[in-house]
Amino acid sequence: MKLWSTLLLSFSVISGVFAAKPTQDTFQKYQSLSRSGPVDLDNAAFEELTNAPRDYYAAVILTAMDVRYGCAMCREFDPEWNLIAKSWNKGNKPDDLKVVFGTLDFDQGKAVFQKLMLQTAPVILLFPPTVGPFAKLESEPARFDFTGPISADQLYSWINRHLPDGPKPELVRPVNYMRIVSAITILMGAVTLFTVLSPYVLPIIQNRNLWAAVSLIAILLFTSGQMFNHIRKVPYVAGDGNGGISYFAGGFQNQFGLETQIVAAIYAVLSFATIALALKVPRMEDVKGQQVAVLIWAGVLFGTYSFLLSVFKTKNGGYPFYLPPF
Amino acid sequence: MAQSSSSLDVLLKGSSGQSTRGLLRIIILLTIAAAAVASRLFSVIRFESIIHEYDRSRNIDLFPIAVDPWFNFRATKYLVQNGFYSFWDWFDDRTWHPLGRVTGGTLYPGLMVTSGVIYHILRFLTIPVDIRNICVLLAPGFSGLTALAMYLLTCEMSTSPSAGLLAAAFMGIAPGYISRSVAGSYDNEAIAIFLLVFTFFLWIKAVKNGSIMWGALTALFYGYMVSAWGGYVFITNLIPLHVFVLLCMGRYSSRVYISYTTWYALGTLGSMQIPFVGFLPIRNSDHMSALGVFGLIQLVAFADFVRGFLPGKQFQKLLTAMVLLTFGLGFAGLVLLSVSGVIAPWSGRFYSLWDTGYAKIHIPIIASVSEHQPTAWPAFFFDLNFLIWLFPAGVFMCFQNLKDEHVFVIIYAVLSSYFAGVMVRLMLTLTPIVCVAAALALSGILDHFMVLSKPNPEAQTKTNAEDSKSLRSTQKPVVGIYSYFSKAVVTGSITVYLLLFVAHCTWVTSNAYSSPSVVLASRMPDGSQHIIDDYREAYYWLRQNTADNAKIMSWWDYGYQIGGMADRPTLVDNNTWNNTHIATVGKAMSSREEVSYPILRQHDVDYVLVVFGGLLGYSGDDLNKFLWMVRIAEGIWPDEVKERDFFTARGEYRVDDEATPTMRNSLMYKMSYYNYQSLFPAGQAVDRVRGTRVPTESPQLNTLEEAFTSENWIIRIYKVKDLDNFGRDHNNAVAFDKGLKRKRASKKKGPRVLRTE
Repeated sequence: MKLWSTLLLSFSVISGVFAAKPTQDTFQKYQSLSRSGPVDLDNAAFEELTNAPRDYYAAVILTAMDVRYGCAMCREFDPEWNLIAKSWNKGNKPDDLKVVFGTLDFDQGKAVFQKLMLQTAPVILLFPPTVGPFAKLESEPARFDFTGPISADQLYSWINRHLPDGPKPELVRPVNYMRIVSAITILMGAVTLFTVLSPYVLPIIQNRNLWAAVSLIAILLFTSGQMFNHIRKVPYVAGDGNGGISYFAGGFQNQFGLETQIVAAIYAVLSFATIALALKVPRMEDVKGQQVAVLIWAGVLFGTYSFLLSVFKTKNGGYPFYLPPF
Repeated sequence: MAQSSSSLDVLLKGSSGQSTRGLLRIIILLTIAAAAVASRLFSVIRFESIIHEYDRSRNIDLFPIAVDPWFNFRATKYLVQNGFYSFWDWFDDRTWHPLGRVTGGTLYPGLMVTSGVIYHILRFLTIPVDIRNICVLLAPGFSGLTALAMYLLTCEMSTSPSAGLLAAAFMGIAPGYISRSVAGSYDNEAIAIFLLVFTFFLWIKAVKNGSIMWGALTALFYGYMVSAWGGYVFITNLIPLHVFVLLCMGRYSSRVYISYTTWYALGTLGSMQIPFVGFLPIRNSDHMSALGVFGLIQLVAFADFVRGFLPGKQFQKLLTAMVLLTFGLGFAGLVLLSVSGVIAPWSGRFYSLWDTGYAKIHIPIIASVSEHQPTAWPAFFFDLNFLIWLFPAGVFMCFQNLKDEHVFVIIYAVLSSYFAGVMVRLMLTLTPIVCVAAALALSGILDHFMVLSKPNPEAQTKTNAEDSKSLRSTQKPVVGIYSYFSKAVVTGSITVYLLLFVAHCTWVTSNAYSSPSVVLASRMPDGSQHIIDDYREAYYWLRQNTADNAKIMSWWDYGYQIGGMADRPTLVDNNTWNNTHIATVGKAMSSREEVSYPILRQHDVDYVLVVFGGLLGYSGDDLNKFLWMVRIAEGIWPDEVKERDFFTARGEYRVDDEATPTMRNSLMYKMSYYNYQSLFPAGQAVDRVRGTRVPTESPQLNTLEEAFTSENWIIRIYKVKDLDNFGRDHNNAVAFDKGLKRKRASKKKGPRVLRTE
């Protein structure tokens, strides 16, 4: 009995040593491969890295970088992923907490995609260790699906939640010296340009007409719902189902990009007619000309307003008011 | 012509003519104020004198808007009953159970104090009046005052006598302002818009006269504004911006210096008296522009002072350099202080105005409110009608003279139209300036076209004063309009537009803004009106059938209503100060019963209230808001609640047979559809909001039991079951009651065991 137990014990020790050795090696190997960023993997390397006895975490992004696949999010997220890997590898971390970051591109790892039955990219898998102090019972990897564009911080906090508690390296975004330098250069250039050109520029800046135009354009843009387009990212136009274009979106809370431009133009025409009637017409000395101008502007005002009301009526079905022509 | 109207001349010319006009003006203004009050009384006449929230959800497909009349009403009652000092120290233990809320220190007391003062004055005059009626009629009353303030403000902008009256009339009935000031919408904005307009009037007066008195009055009303509404930050930033632009335009004058320094010093001290504001004016980035401009204007004033004594050009250059250097150093110091954390960064709500994507990622609770959504163009037209296209014309006319006050109008116009575009709610701050500008534009037309006398081209003094600074279109002198025909055409068409405007405003007010969200009105097929009163039915049920301190859990939109109408403690309410607590409720609603029940027990919840519009087609119900609950819960417990799980594989939000398991097991889903199928023939149950069939089987509830369902099923209330008498978990107990055989626990791991404390 005793003999058996000692035998068993020694076996288990030996097997433990045998098992531990390769994982130690795998970790060292990939750790040395990934000097700063994540390791580039292929089918075989992925298998080796995620093979069952492992005493380290393996975080792998499965991505499709090539332009052919048209995965914009993959390409967008790649620098962020490198940033995470870099921050981790360079940062201060507990000695026994081992994490390997890897990148598996679809071109190198079709077999893995097939094996995992992945239809979408990018996907992030975090394999917990199976042996060692942080070993998890279930060796199934945690999976992070992308629902929208995200930043490195969001993903990093997700990874951190799956790692054991304790100090972890901060996510460090490298200072973009290029940007600072170029900003300073541009600023100084602008100042210089301004000083040199000030005799020519100042009259323009102090020009009242220019400021009036800028303010009016800004007001017209804002009141015609441009900010809504910007925030909600509405389509510019949409088809009406019969091959044509529908210029106006149905419903009170919807609009198209083109629609807001049409509305802004309507407002602009109406405002301009008002300005003409209030400021220009009373300053005309010619009797006939003034009569004609008044009729034209009043007609424009009336027709355009009528059109605006009819457009509004299409947006808000129950609206009871209209003006004759439209 | 002079002979025919000679009898009128006595009245219209000379000193008696002046007083006649003054009298007429007063009468017109009073009529406008009366019209402003009257047009806000639709809801009181149609329903009754009740406090309500303003709700656009039926006209525009959005969620009901979180405003807090019910809370304000409760607070006012407390103030009137217990006096001012105990109101100041009020700790409310009937909300945010079990946390409670330091109410006195976390609200803007202006509104309650105003109605309290009115109440006591009326009492003193021995007019017995219920505090509720004061609260209901406060907003219409103040809108009359707003029209008057608008008249004063516009008269400062224009020499034309008609502009002010037009602006007052526009302000009186513009739906953009009516939306928040109908009778019964007892909200901060009710008095705040009056204070906003009046403060701006005083400010313009101060800048024009350079008088300390007007500056001090500005500060006084600014202080009142701070005590009434969080939107005071708008004034705090707009006035410094006005001064800054004036300085940039080289328009420094002692008038500006006197009025600004007076306003800033007194106004800041005044605003710090409100406990909720406290030291924010010197420690928060929202207020830093005012401080910065205060410093800048001291420097400019000093430079201006020294310039008088320094003859040499070299000295002046030195001086300019010194001023710039000091300013740069001051600015760097401010940046350093805010980086090091002495000055708090921009508050989230305010910051989300600039970075429009910010709120959605970081503060979903703000993004979830429909008032914080961007504004589509129909909303502008809906709220302002033809003022919206008179608005740019009026702003253009301000460039004509471009005095100091016109600069103010332009800045205000551009800035507030940006804000209104970003957030529906800020349409409220846009409306006053639109009325000013539109009145300027319209009076510009009417003053030329409504003159009877013909111009005489020979008599025109041809003084072509070529002012290179003025606008191109106004360089020629004004002649006037020759023909009566053109006068008739223009005047006639403008009359049509004005009549249309009045009709539009009445229509909008009566249809969109006058239905209290607690009482819904619908039309029967025969055209008669049917009133759906489920909310009040349910709240009165709670009031009469539950224990006095039964805790009610609901989504936060209904917290104030439950507190006000049912008088029961709630877990969360519209004062969303504690995001985690709200997320807890969200988690309870969006998790399985096994997870939710311990949460409910831990928070002493006795009843759970959900709003379900499926039977009636009421779109503002909880299932439509459900995703926000999930999102807010996910923000705190990303591992336990996942938004993705509520969407089908194809990314659809479904409630029918194809709904995801997470969706179908969530407490909210179960509570909404529990027994709903029994209303319909088998297999025919339809959800009229989401326009889908619902599963044929009713969901099974183990830990809750249905306590009350209102007439139209809008409100459903469930009682949280107590622990089982035999120590079983509820799953087993329900199964036993149904006569099902008990599952062998030993065979497999069995269903997840319910843990209850």
